[in-house]
Amino acid sequence: MECSFALTGKDYVLVAADTTSARSIIKMKVDEDKIKTLSPHLLMAYSGEPGDTVQFAEYIERNIRLYHIRNLYPLRPQSAASWIRRALAESLRSRQSYTVNLLVGGFDTADKTPHLYWIDYLGTMATVPFAAHGYGSYFASSLLDRYHNPDGTLEEGLDALRRAIDETAKRLVVSPGKYTVKVVDKDGVRVIDL
Amino acid sequence: MNSFATKFSPTDADIELRRAQEIAEEEGMSDVMWGSEAGFGNLVNGHAFNIPSVPDPSSFLRLHTDDHADPNCKIKIQHGTTTLAFRFQGGVIVAVDSRATAGSYIASGTVKKVIEINPYLLGTMAGGAADCQYWETYLGIQCRLHELRNKERISVAAASKYLSNLVYGYKGMGLSMGTMICGWDKTGPAVFYVDSDGTRLKGDLFSVGSGSTFAYGVLDQGYRWDLTDAEAQELGRRSIYAAGHRDAFSGNTCNLYHVKEDGWKFIGNYDITKMHYDGPGEVAGAPGGGYGYDVRTQGRFSALAPTVPA
Amino acid sequence: MSRSYDRALTVFSPDGHLFQVEYALEAVRKGTCAVGVRGKDVVVLGVEKKSVLQLQDPRTVRKVVMLDDHVCLAFAGLTADGRVLIDKARVECQSHRLTVEDPVTVEYITRHIAGIQQRYTQSGGVRPFGISTLIVGFDPHDTQPRLYQTEPSGIYSAWKANAIGRSSKTVREFLEKNHKDDLTREESIKLTVKSLLEVVQTGAKNIEISVMESYGKVTNLDLPQIEAIVQEIEHEKEAEAERKRSRLAATAAGQAAMSSRATGTPGE
Repeated sequence: MECSFALTGKDYVLVAADTTSARSIIKMKVDEDKIKTLSPHLLMAYSGEPGDTVQFAEYIERNIRLYHIRNLYPLRPQSAASWIRRALAESLRSRQSYTVNLLVGGFDTADKTPHLYWIDYLGTMATVPFAAHGYGSYFASSLLDRYHNPDGTLEEGLDALRRAIDETAKRLVVSPGKYTVKVVDKDGVRVIDL
Repeated sequence: MNSFATKFSPTDADIELRRAQEIAEEEGMSDVMWGSEAGFGNLVNGHAFNIPSVPDPSSFLRLHTDDHADPNCKIKIQHGTTTLAFRFQGGVIVAVDSRATAGSYIASGTVKKVIEINPYLLGTMAGGAADCQYWETYLGIQCRLHELRNKERISVAAASKYLSNLVYGYKGMGLSMGTMICGWDKTGPAVFYVDSDGTRLKGDLFSVGSGSTFAYGVLDQGYRWDLTDAEAQELGRRSIYAAGHRDAFSGNTCNLYHVKEDGWKFIGNYDITKMHYDGPGEVAGAPGGGYGYDVRTQGRFSALAPTVPA
Repeated sequence: MSRSYDRALTVFSPDGHLFQVEYALEAVRKGTCAVGVRGKDVVVLGVEKKSVLQLQDPRTVRKVVMLDDHVCLAFAGLTADGRVLIDKARVECQSHRLTVEDPVTVEYITRHIAGIQQRYTQSGGVRPFGISTLIVGFDPHDTQPRLYQTEPSGIYSAWKANAIGRSSKTVREFLEKNHKDDLTREESIKLTVKSLLEVVQTGAKNIEISVMESYGKVTNLDLPQIEAIVQEIEHEKEAEAERKRSRLAATAAGQAAMSSRATGTPGE
């Protein structure tokens, strides 16, 4: 089952998402990247209804890019998250809505701070120090309450993330096998091998 | 599909233009007048179908077609199938069975489940046969138009995305398709899985349909990137055989295609019963002899050989 | 039917002209000059820049814009019209990525822009765009530089080198004389500057140069760089003039000598 985690640390945001695409009992693909890089300092992990997820994420991706080209500067994380939330909320009140859960993490190059937003398919948005979606959240939220350090180094953040992933692997019946992990900081986005 | 474009920024000028277009159409000067739509005329001005005048068309459809919920339902849509496609060093192999079932009845044993979109693109058919046939034929029209407009063949990614966006537009309205769009373009061999949920996945190896688990079993174990052409074709055949043998809703024959740089080629049609007892015949890659368990293991036993009293 | 007569501004004149479209071309001819030069594996856009007023922020006046990572556009004509068309093109670039996954080809976006321009010559209640554009870039998975032009009428065409806007005829004739196939990066830039200098009297500070070297690699030359090139060109011109003068002097001297010999007194 789909799981995604994210947490902030000293000047960075870590975002992780599993890499499986399943259809009923079958894994159709085991190396799908479910974290989009929306702009040089912005990441978005998405999960939810098949079809909706990619359609919504690409729609967001292209609009954020369009904003960047039109204005020469990208949206700041907070504005981007607000806009994304609004897009979801508006879709919720249409005939066909996007059933997509998101974690939006970014580094604001203007005030040099990392930002993380938890957004669900109903259009709820919360600013959080760490976040999770899917069954993994039932294990990770308490775990990160206990182990998360808001001004931890990247290594500390990765340790906390490893704990969350390992715990999910240990206790969840249908736990995902592999994760992509990305970090965003002042230097932009990097993929990390856990 | 262009609904995304209009979502960006409908300016006043756009509205003006649209009004001008409406005027043209009112006066019977729309583009539709200028040629045949080859049976797809209902799609020229946006996609419009007649929908039953009930509050919830998709649940209405489900009520009358879903034989899980109601075995006595009047319309039985063809569902059971095994299809597979995989990418390897020598191109793409596409293999499918040929059985059409409607409920527990075998409606046909000679269905073509590979849809030849154009000389470089193949689509496979699982789920509603009509949905697949109709939309993949329509996709063929759009691919040709793309080719004429852009003076180059459409990429497999673009073709599959076109189909994916199309069916996504009908999400929740009862379309049922699980298809692989396979072909060769500038980037080399490519396989995309597209289904009526709107899922679209790029990958090396896919199998779709009620028999897909059985096909995966053989396919995954025998798959390598550097298979030879003969080995790859044999793997495709054997995987479909496996599903045809184990899945009640798959069977009859196997159709095999191979896509290479210069387009697809039909390799052959193989009877699954024959493959069981005698093998596919004199074809490249075949080991000789039947695929069936009893045939394959003839003369071998798990039991210890009875000790002959001295 | 009768209502469509008074709707369109663009109707044919009895001798087959669309006056509004021709007036739009006139607006282009009044616009500042833009030059595009295609080299061997580089393509250069150069534009004549109006002098920025003392208190104006120069960053807000741009005549060369990016449509996407790999496509660049310069225009001549009504700046306000340009802005609208550019925005439509940018939306299409992203929309294309969304629907076809690949980025646009340069020809595709040119055709799209020309298509919009054409529609505005055949629809009611609108007027044509008063701009011509030069579109440069590289196609995805390709190393061939591209250069296209569009006009208010909706015509589009591919070029090795071309100019639009004020005095474009002079500049084009200059390019026709001096363009060679397989220009290097430096030669292409120099040719662009040189051709612009045909119409820009004020020199480097009124020239803007953008260079695209490969897919998505764009550089805008800054003022000192352009000044250096202008200086180089001027030196060359001077040297050329010097040579000409000395050659002229030499021939004059030769002729004088000849004539003096001819008229010289015999027996000297």
